[in-house]
This record gives sequence, structure tokens and C-alpha cells, in this order.
Amino acid sequence: MIMMKRFVYINDDQVSHELYCDNRISNRKYTILNFLPKNLWEQFSRFMNQYFLLIACLQLWPLITPVNPASTWGPLIFIFSVSATKEAWDDYNRYLSDKKANEKKVWIVKNGIKKQIKAQDIHVGSIIWLRENDEVPCDLVLLGSSDPQGLCYVETAALDGETDLKTRVVSSSCMGIDSELLHKIKGVIECPNPDKDIRRFDANLRLFPPFIDNDVCPLTIKNTILQTCYLRNTEWACGVAPFFSGNETKLGMSRGIPEPKLTAMDAMIDKLTGAIFIFQIVVVMVLGVAGNVWKDTEAKKLWYVEYPHEGPWFELLIIPLRFELLCSIMIPISIKVSLDLVKSLYAKFIDWDEKMVDEETSIASHATNTAISEDLGQVEYILTDKTGTLTENKMIFRRCCINGIFYGNDSGDALKDVELLNSIEAGSPDVIRFLTIMAICNTVIPVQSKSGAILYKAQSQDEDALVHAAAKLYMVFLNRNANILEIKFNSSSIQYELLETLEFTSDRKRMSVVVKDCKNGKIFLLSKGADESILPYAIAGQQTRAFVEAVEHYAQMGLRTLCLAWRELMNDEYREWSLSFKEASSALVDREWRLAEICQRIERDLQVLGVTAIEDRLQDGVPETIETLRKAGINFWMLTGDKQDTAIQIARLCNFISPEPKGQLLMINGKTEDEVRVSLERVLRTMRITTSEPKDVAFVVDGWALEIAVTRYRKAFTELAILSRTAICCRVTPSQKAQLVQLLKSCDYRTLAIGDGGNDVRMIQQADIGVGISGREGLQAARAADYSIGKFRFLRRLILVHGRYSYNRTAFLSQYSFYKSLVICFIQILFSFISGVSGTSLFNSISLMAYNVFYTSVPVLVSVLDKDLTEETVMQHPQILFYCQAGRLLNPSTFAGWFGRSLFHAIVVFTISIHSYAYEKSELEEVSLVALSGCIWLQAFVMTLETNSFTILQHIAIWGNLAAFYVINWIFSTIPSSGMYTIMFRLCREPSYWTAIFLTVAAGMGPIVALKYFRYTYRPSKINTLQQAERLGGPILSLGSIEPQARTIEREVSTLSIAQPKMRNPMYEPLLSDSPNSTRRSFGPGTPFDFFQPQTRLSAGYSRNCKDN
Amino acid sequence: MNSNTPPSTSVAAGSVDPSAARRNSKRPKCNLLSLAHCISAIPRFFGFRFPEKMMPDLRFTVHPAGTSSLQANSDTAMGLIQLPLSVQVISAFLLVSIVFIPIGVASLLASHDVVEIVDRYDTACIPDSARNDKVNYIQSPGNKTCTRNITVTKHMKKPIYVYYQLDNFYQNHRRYVKSRSDAQLRSNGSADDVSSCEPEDKSNGQPIVPCGLIAWSLFNDTYDFSRNGQQLSLNKKGISWKSDREHKFGKNVFPRNFQNGSLIGGGSLTDSLPLSEQEDLIVWMRTAALPTFRKLYGKIEDDLQVNDVVMVTLENRYNTYSFNGKKKLVLSTASWLGGKNDFLGIAYLTVGGLCFFLAMVFTVVYLVKPRKLGDPSYLSWNRNPGWH
Repeated sequence: MIMMKRFVYINDDQVSHELYCDNRISNRKYTILNFLPKNLWEQFSRFMNQYFLLIACLQLWPLITPVNPASTWGPLIFIFSVSATKEAWDDYNRYLSDKKANEKKVWIVKNGIKKQIKAQDIHVGSIIWLRENDEVPCDLVLLGSSDPQGLCYVETAALDGETDLKTRVVSSSCMGIDSELLHKIKGVIECPNPDKDIRRFDANLRLFPPFIDNDVCPLTIKNTILQTCYLRNTEWACGVAPFFSGNETKLGMSRGIPEPKLTAMDAMIDKLTGAIFIFQIVVVMVLGVAGNVWKDTEAKKLWYVEYPHEGPWFELLIIPLRFELLCSIMIPISIKVSLDLVKSLYAKFIDWDEKMVDEETSIASHATNTAISEDLGQVEYILTDKTGTLTENKMIFRRCCINGIFYGNDSGDALKDVELLNSIEAGSPDVIRFLTIMAICNTVIPVQSKSGAILYKAQSQDEDALVHAAAKLYMVFLNRNANILEIKFNSSSIQYELLETLEFTSDRKRMSVVVKDCKNGKIFLLSKGADESILPYAIAGQQTRAFVEAVEHYAQMGLRTLCLAWRELMNDEYREWSLSFKEASSALVDREWRLAEICQRIERDLQVLGVTAIEDRLQDGVPETIETLRKAGINFWMLTGDKQDTAIQIARLCNFISPEPKGQLLMINGKTEDEVRVSLERVLRTMRITTSEPKDVAFVVDGWALEIAVTRYRKAFTELAILSRTAICCRVTPSQKAQLVQLLKSCDYRTLAIGDGGNDVRMIQQADIGVGISGREGLQAARAADYSIGKFRFLRRLILVHGRYSYNRTAFLSQYSFYKSLVICFIQILFSFISGVSGTSLFNSISLMAYNVFYTSVPVLVSVLDKDLTEETVMQHPQILFYCQAGRLLNPSTFAGWFGRSLFHAIVVFTISIHSYAYEKSELEEVSLVALSGCIWLQAFVMTLETNSFTILQHIAIWGNLAAFYVINWIFSTIPSSGMYTIMFRLCREPSYWTAIFLTVAAGMGPIVALKYFRYTYRPSKINTLQQAERLGGPILSLGSIEPQARTIEREVSTLSIAQPKMRNPMYEPLLSDSPNSTRRSFGPGTPFDFFQPQTRLSAGYSRNCKDN
Repeated sequence: MNSNTPPSTSVAAGSVDPSAARRNSKRPKCNLLSLAHCISAIPRFFGFRFPEKMMPDLRFTVHPAGTSSLQANSDTAMGLIQLPLSVQVISAFLLVSIVFIPIGVASLLASHDVVEIVDRYDTACIPDSARNDKVNYIQSPGNKTCTRNITVTKHMKKPIYVYYQLDNFYQNHRRYVKSRSDAQLRSNGSADDVSSCEPEDKSNGQPIVPCGLIAWSLFNDTYDFSRNGQQLSLNKKGISWKSDREHKFGKNVFPRNFQNGSLIGGGSLTDSLPLSEQEDLIVWMRTAALPTFRKLYGKIEDDLQVNDVVMVTLENRYNTYSFNGKKKLVLSTASWLGGKNDFLGIAYLTVGGLCFFLAMVFTVVYLVKPRKLGDPSYLSWNRNPGWH
């Protein structure tokens, strides 16, 4: 433990200088000196590059090289320098931005004098002065502020994307120290080693004389300002000792290079490359042996070859190595470059897509990860967060239930409920207390704008909704002035002194404040939280039945509920408790856990006041999107921290689960292992039976049961996960979300996780594809994600259009790349049979190099514009995505097709060129160019055949490339040393050349066209059928039953507010009558809420947390 | 211009400037075979009119991402009428066969017009006594003159090309084909550039010009032709490529140290003549791609009549016996396609015939078993909702 701590001496240069690093930020990967070796090392750690390097090195040996080494070294150096340049450029930009940050001027205090230095020269322990709107240069502990209460406001948008202002407070021991004195302050901060958790900082501060304050003063994250935040609304914030600086700041620590994700397609391409490699080795060995045998039997007789009688020791290796070099082009060096290039194009297409721009916020979609677009087309599971992802996360206070009386049921808006307004006017104490809690039991900061209106800066959307609603109900939260909370009720001002804030954590699921009424000095505890963390602590004797019903009632309507409660504290009780609270909050070890325990001590015997219901509307197009994607064969899992009922209700609203006769909900629950096991087995049995029926079965599981199921009954749960197309997991923690993703990934499913908040980050990073919604909960998720979109509905387009096209295009491009390399390679192999198996290259070096670099790579790149089906058709027939999901377009059998085609084309080209150029025309350079031209012509026609949609660009690329081939060859034909001097001019004048070329095209393409036509017409794939339909009349030809049903979601949403009794039935009864859920529902009078087991559950949660940290 | 296009489909294209459509108006309509579009005019020829419903509407978008800038609709403005795919494909095959069969016939005729006389003399020119050990005979010194009488079977018009043909001679062998120095052949200054010429790079420490196995193994049989006891003039000028004489073989490069090593390969060169005038060498140095090849020896600038007997006096010096190679003397005329070679003609006829056959088969199938394309009922998910 000692090693984990460090001591920072404030204002003491000598001590800390040597110990800790300065504030220089360095995000650079390379330095000028290590760039070349480091970059080369990185590039050569890939197998493919090693392979190319080996080939290139072998070619330096003139005895075995069939061609000029430049034909491999040229492209190799080109490719490597492109990637190296890119890296260098990125690194240079990083250097520039580092430099800018490092050289920024900041004011520091040294020996009592303020001076300006560069940010990079800040040392641990220096005191820094910030003025309003300054950017914070490094992590700081607040020592003073212009605010008399020691408050200052910071904007943390750069850190977590949240744009609201957060308060930070000067640590208590420095409170009230004069600014002049602050210059001379000395002390020590005891803090843990740097970590990247931006929500935690457990440290202590002790000041030295003359600032005698023997108390060790606890520091929390509240007392810090982190790097890149901005100081707002505060004239100055003073002198703060940077305790983490440079690369050790929280931000610096949390920057990390994410692990590169490999798409399923890349894996398949790698596999095929491996197969080709093995094939190549086999070919090399066979030809090597054949070559050696031929040499010994035949070539020794060829006096003109002058084989020596005794060769060197490596003689046997020479011919195999020559063939290795001849065959090395089987693995095209260009495929990596082409793939990288088209992948970044796919990403650009996503960035440019105007149909994926959120009109409200004009946030465009963005592909952060440019390498995994193909995976989008192969998604099998989508795991989605609920709040903010499916819903708008725009909370509106709709209803409430105060002391058993429902408000807002008739109109759907409690704010307009006459009864409520009446009781406010009448001054009903419960209602007023209810409103008071709504107004002040929060961390909202009211900001008085210049026009006099009050703006609320809230971190939680729920709190925001409550405060706004309270303000509309005449309980206006006016001002948070240090510890004084000022509210105005019906034009009379009420002040409360804020004594303590018991903050919200996801484990406690409630937050409380302890306030003192300034008028009469009474102390109150005001709490709000989830029902299961409030109701069990109700004071003995209070009937909570009504609240339970209210909560359920609201949850069924998809509303979010919060229970509000209060309690008056005796002075003694408070004093005693506050001591232990202070102690716990300065604990360095397990602070969070201990705080929770202390809070628990006071949050009891609560007087429950009522329930608030907040509506979180579904985003536009969510049900349609989910329906389309489900039709496309994608399975949906909803992972939410919300209540089961709310989750199920939302799931219904957005087509997650079908309504009654078709759909079926299976509950997995139970509080003990056994119960969970029984329930899991029952669900699994049902699931097995129903898989054969066209029934839509979904299972519902909550976090507690999930924990047991995943840890104890992993196998059964995995089977369930595979069987079930839909699942709803409620009350899950962020780590459980990630766990579920992991589980599905381990079953070899392609998963996509979509979420919007910080709690989704782990799941997003874990999944094959992470999609972040740049929403109201900040940018954290969007930043961690591979793709960020503005609204959930863009997911449909992202997957069906971008994902599918990317998959199709890459499938074509990669196979085509192999095909064209194999054609030329097979021709070389065939030629070796007529050249004495000696490893002669038919083609010269220039042709071989240009073949991969110029002649064939340009046309294939325009295949990124190819569309096999129009977007509209795909949207109408999402089922077509199946071809991508199942990998129908790139797999060993399609690859075998291309392999066969390349063999066939090689035979055609070879046979025709050697026969039409036989006897007196059998000149090596001529035959070589005839064969090469034959290949190029065939490539052009293959491209034409495989292109589904033509634009002018495709024509330019294909036919322009063919023309360019001749131009390039004419140019080379003018160079005497090119190995093809005058050949192309000569050939172009010969009729026999053109007849041979046309023959090659007809003989090569005829069978392929015939086969394709036959398949297309008589054995059409689904894609072909849709293509035919498009040809016949475009997408207007609505194909029968799959026309998207015009479901009016508006109607359903409106029923939400009007006709709740109707909604009640389909969702209430679990379909399995013996589901344990039914027992869970009926709370026996004797054992209310004992299901929740608050104690065990809390501690279990905490111990887990501790382990995680 | 889009009168045949269903209006509701042109929504996407509507926003695009019309020039884009014009630019694209020449693109082929058929996404299966662009050849097919060449014959789009056929319907008018046959008087076909297709109901509007059958007009395909192909829409093209450059960017998949909806930022499409180039879109075009079916361009009936060109007067090209879209055909059903089957008709297009069948017509394409028919077209290919219609074009290919005449070409095949023409090629065959050209090939048959060529008069070619091939005389194999490698065995015949060995005296019976030496037939058991031909290699020894060819390698031992002595007079190896041999006379062959060739009867002309068909009138041969001048120029008559005289080739020698070697069979089973691997000029394309890896060891052989690389064994030359182009730099040395081209310029006098690069005489020392013999690194690639192994094992015939140097003789007694002096670089050989021309170096390498190819030059060293120069073919050295010679032929003399006479008809009725009268010498037939053989033109040996201009038998090599002009470009080779002018740019690949230097005018001031003279043979040096050639064929004076321990092992004599093929023919020797006149030391006083520059390489650019040693045309036999230039021809020989154009390596052949196949193990059977002909090289031009000379041209007879005289017509040969039927039943003319040409007497060839040849020096049989070149050793093909150790590897069972054949040596043939070829007298041949030429056509527009070159020498006698039936391959192209036969291949054209075969491909044309196959295309015709396929076209017929497709027609029959199309008529007998018409298949409605794009029938949604083929989409299995329409039949079985559980499919995915």
C-alpha cells in the first residue's frame, strides 16, 4: 500500500522536482531517431509483410530471381513508405498539438510571486492561477477561489462531453484563506498513484504552519479540476497544486490506443491467404521436384545450357526457390493497399451520408474506426441500451402519486391536473414537501441568466425534469449559494441550509440531502431513488402498498419512476452521524463502500411521500428500425439498468417483442441459485420446444439472476442465448453488459453494441462493433465507439446500406485481387511446363510490376461504387442481409469459384497465345505481351460482368484502364532496354494479334457468361431475384407481404397516455402460468419486498466493485 | 425523356441535374454483358415492341451514401429499347457466332493459301555408317555436306521464306534465356559487362563478345538452294528486325574472343563485321518462347512452280542429336495472318459454333420453359416467414 501512495509538497520545489515528471505532454509514438526502426519493426510484425520482405530478399539473388528485383522492391517500398508517411504525418500532427499545449502560458506562483511560464514547465507542487474561461493545464487540487464559499464552476465537455457546469469546491481546510496568503501556502498532499478514473480521487491534504489545521482534510474528485476543463462563472480559481501532470493526468492516463478490431471478413481473407500460401508451397514443391528431375534427366543432355557436372551444395534448392519467386505473386502485394484504401472510403461514405445527419442537432454520422465497415453487414446480434438509445432521453415529468392519490392520470400531464393545483393552493403539507424534494433534493445548479430567467444546469436528466416540473408547480429553485438553497414558493422565499449531500451511485440507486430549515432550525433528510431502494426503508407502519402499485402502474406505461421520501432528523442524531460520515469520506481505502454503509445508517425509517413518473419518449423511427433489422435476421438484446416493467413496456413499444399470440415472454428470475437454475431450465425447455414454431419468444432476466446464470450456469445460459432471438436484461451493470457481449462473442456471433452513456462504454468497446449515439448523456459512448450516429434510426441505414455494400464490395474486391494474381501465376506455371520446368518467367519485370500496380488495381477500386441492389430495395427486403451475415459472398466455396475461373482463364490465355504465336512467330517477348494483353482484356470483361451498376466512373476505369494499358506499353516499347522494345507497336500492326485477343475474350468469357446467365435465370439467388425485379420496374414493385407495414407508432405512443388499462393486460400476465414471476408479483402481506434483499445485494455489489477496481 | 420510366422511381433521380443523365446516356444498359448492348438495335430490326412494363429501369448512384451526383435513368431517348435479359444474352451469343464463324473461315482460307514445305533432315543427313553414334559424328570434324531434293507441290509466290525449325530445343530455359548481355551487344564500351553471361562470360580472362549461352550456341547449319542446276539466290539481308539491327546490336561492336574457349558451341562469327550486320546472330538472339520454333534463314526472291525440284546443299553442323532434337528446313509463303497455322481458324470456328449452339439451347429453353424473372414468390421468405 505504501508503494501506491505519493506525497506531494505544495510550493516546495526542491522535494518534488526530481521525484515526479514535469508537465510536458507527449502523445508521440516516435522520435526522429527511432522512427525508422520502430516503424519498420511495427510494419514487419505482420505476417504478410514478412512474407513480402522474404520474397523481396530472395529476389536479390540473381541466380534464382526470374525477374528484376525491382518488380517486387518497387511496390514493396512504395507500400511501406505510404504507411510510414501516414504514421509520420499523424505523429507530426500529434507533436504539433503537444507543442501547442506545452507552450501555452500559464500563471504560477513561485516564492510568493506570480509569474507566467510555459505549461510544460509546471512542476508537481507548483501553485497555478486560473482566470475565468481559462483552460486547465493539468490536474489540480483546488486551494482557493474567488467565491467566498470556495466554489468554482467548471465545464468538463472535453473530458466527458457533458456540457453542464459542475461545481468544484475548495477543500475545507483551505476555505477562507486570503488570496495573498495562498501564495505562501505550504502543505502536503497524500494521494494514490495516478490512475485514469475520472470520477474518483481519494486523497488527503495537510497544511503546514502557519496554516495550522491539524486535521487531515479529505480530498475527493470534488476538490479537483482536471486537465482540459474550462473554468466558468468564476473570476479566479487559485493556486492549485498540480499533483498529476503531463502524461500522468487523469486524461493522459485514460487516453489509450484502442486495440485494433479485426473484421470477420479480414479473418476470412487471412484464412484464404493462408490457404493460397499452402497451395503455393505445394506448387513450389511439386514443380521444384519436377524441375530437379527434369534437370537431371533432360537438361544435362542440353549441351547449350551447359549445366556443370558438379553443382554447388544448394543446387537442389535453386529450382524450388525460383518457383517460389515465380509463384510469390499468388498473394498479391496490392491487396493490402487496396483493402485499406477502400475501407477508408467506406468510412468516408458514412461520414458523407446526408441521410444519416441528425436534422435536429445537425450531427453527422462518423466512422471513427475506418477498418470494420464490412462487419456492419455481418451483424448477428445487436445489444442495445435503452435510455437515450431507444428513447430520446428527454425527460418530461408526466404524472405523480402523492400519498396514494394519482395526479395526471386523466390528462396525462400532472402539471395541468386541477386537483394537484388545488392541493398546492390549499397548501397540503405532503404535497408541498413533495415539491420541495423535487426542487432541492438534487445537484442541479440554477444559473440566473441576464434576462432574469433561471437556467438549470443538471447532470441528470431526471433531476432536470423534476426541478423544471417543481418550478412549474410554483416551487421555484432560485439559487444555490454555497450551502444555502433558496426556493421560492408562491412568492414567499424559503431557505434551507444544505448540510450534506449523499450522492447517487448506481449501486445505492438513491440520493439524499440533509438540509436545515433556516427558519425553524429543523433538520430533514430528503431522499429520492428507485422504488426498491426507497420503499424497503419506509418507516415501520407506513403502508407502502399504494406506492408499489403506483410504481408498477407507471412502469407499465413505460414511465420512469422515482420514489420520494423524507424524514426529520434529531439534532443529536445528525451530529453523531455527520462525524462518521466525515470520517468515511476521508478514507483512502474503500471510501465508496464505507460511505454507502454510513449513508445506509441514516437513510431509514423514511416517510414515503409519493412517486414521480417521468416520461422518456421513444426516438423517431425506433420501432420501424428494429422491425426492419429483426427482419434482416438480426437478434436484438436490450440491456438496461431500468426496471423490468419499464424495460418490457419499452420493448413492446419498439417492436422488440411481438404482441400476444405470436410473442411470448419467458422470465428468468429467482433470488437463490436454485431458483435461478430451475427457472433457467424451464425457460430453456420452453425455448427448445418453440424454436420450431414461428413464434417470437423472448426471455427476460434481471441483473441478479443474470449474475447467477452467467457465473454458475454458463452453459445453459449460453444455449439460451443462442436459441433466443430476443432478450431483455434489466437492472444490469456496465460490467454485466460487457459480460453479455463477451458471452455472445464467445459463441462466434458478430455483435454490435449501441449505447449513448458512460455506462455503455465497456460494452461498446467489448463488442465487435461499437456504435455510440451522440446524445444527451455526453459524448463518452460516441468517443469510445467505432461509429457514432445521431439517432438510433440511422442504425438501419448504417447496417443495411453501408454495412451490406461494404461487405459485398470487399468480398468482390478481395476475391478479384486473388483471381487476377492467380491468372498471371497460373500462366507462369503453365509456361514452366514448356520451358523445361526451369523457372523461366514468361513476363518481363515491367509487366509483372505494372500488372499489379497499374493494369488491374485501378478498375477494381471503382468497385467501391458498385451497388448490387438499390438502397430502396434493400430497405424493403432487409432479409437480403442474410447473404452477408452468413458470409455467402466470401467463403471457401465462392473463392473456389474464383480460383477455378482464374485457372480456366489462364489456360485459355496460355493456349491461345502459344498456339497462335507458334513456329516462326514464337518470339518470347511477343508471346509474353500477347498473353499479358489477353489477361488484361479478360480482366476488363470480368470487371464488366461483375459490376452491377454502372456509372461513368466505372466505364472510365474499366475501358480507360484498357486504353492505358496500351499507352503504357507503347511507352515502354520505345525504351530499348525495357525487354519489350518495339514489341507493342509490332503487335498492334499484326492482324493475328487482334484475332488472338478477340478469340481469348470470347473463349474466356463465353462459358462464364453462359453459366452466369443460366444461374441468374434458372437458379437465381435472392439477390438475383431482386435484381430482376428492379430491372422489371424498380423498387415500386412491392413484393407481396414484405411491404413494410404502416404501423402508426404515434397511435401507440398516445395510447400510452390515454388508455392505460388496455395496456395493462398484455404485459401483466406472464405467459407461462407457472413462471416464478407470478409469485414474485403478488407480494404477500407478510413478506413485502424481501425479494430485493437489500443488504446482501448491496454488499455483493460493492465487493464486486472493489474487485473491479 | 423518361416516358417509359415509372414516375415514382424517378424521385431519386429527379434532383440530379439533367447533364448528368446526358453524360451517362451512352452507358450500356445491360448489367450482365456489355456486348449485349451493342445489339440493342435488333428489336427494331425484328419489329419487336416490348410492353412498357418490361423496360428495366436502372438507376445509378455514385456514392452509396446518398450524396449521389451522377444518376441516370433508362435512356429511351437514344431510341434504344431495352430487351429482356434472355433476348439480350441470346442475341449476344448469336452475334458472337455470326462474327466469329466468318473470321474463322477467313483465317482457315488464309492458312490454306500458304504453301509450306517442311523437310526434316537431321537423321537423313547422317551417313548410314554413323547412324549409331550421331553425336560423335556431329562433334568430329570432317565434311558434313548433305544434299536434299525438295519437290514443290504447289505454286509458290515470292518471297519464299526459308526457315530452319528446331524441335525440342529449349531456348526458353531459365539458364539459357538469361545468359546474355544486352548492354554489351548495344555498345562498344560495355564489353566488360558480362556478369549475366555465365558460364560463357570470359575466355582466358578476356570478355567474350557477344557473351552468353545464346550467342555461343548460334545455329550454324548452312543451306544453298539450286533449281535445275541453277543457283537460287537467297537474300539474307533484312531477315532480322530492323529495330534490333539499329538499336539493340551496335554498329561498332565487333566479335571478340568468340568461340575460342575450350568448348565450341555453335557457329562462329566474322570478326570484321559489326554485330548489327551479323543477321543470323540477331535472329538467333530473339529467343523463342516454345521448344519448337522456326527462325528465318533467308528469303528466296523467286516464284517456285509446281513440280520444281529444289536441291538444297546443306552443311549439317549443328548438334541436336545429343538431346534428340529435330532439325527441319522449311520453305513457306506468307498470308495476312503469317505462316501456315490452322489453330486460329479452327478455334474461331469452334468458339463461333459453340456460341451458336448455346444461343440455340438458350432459345429453346427460353421458349419451352419461360421463366418469369423477378417473381417475388421466388423469395423464400415470402413463403416461409420463419426463414432468415
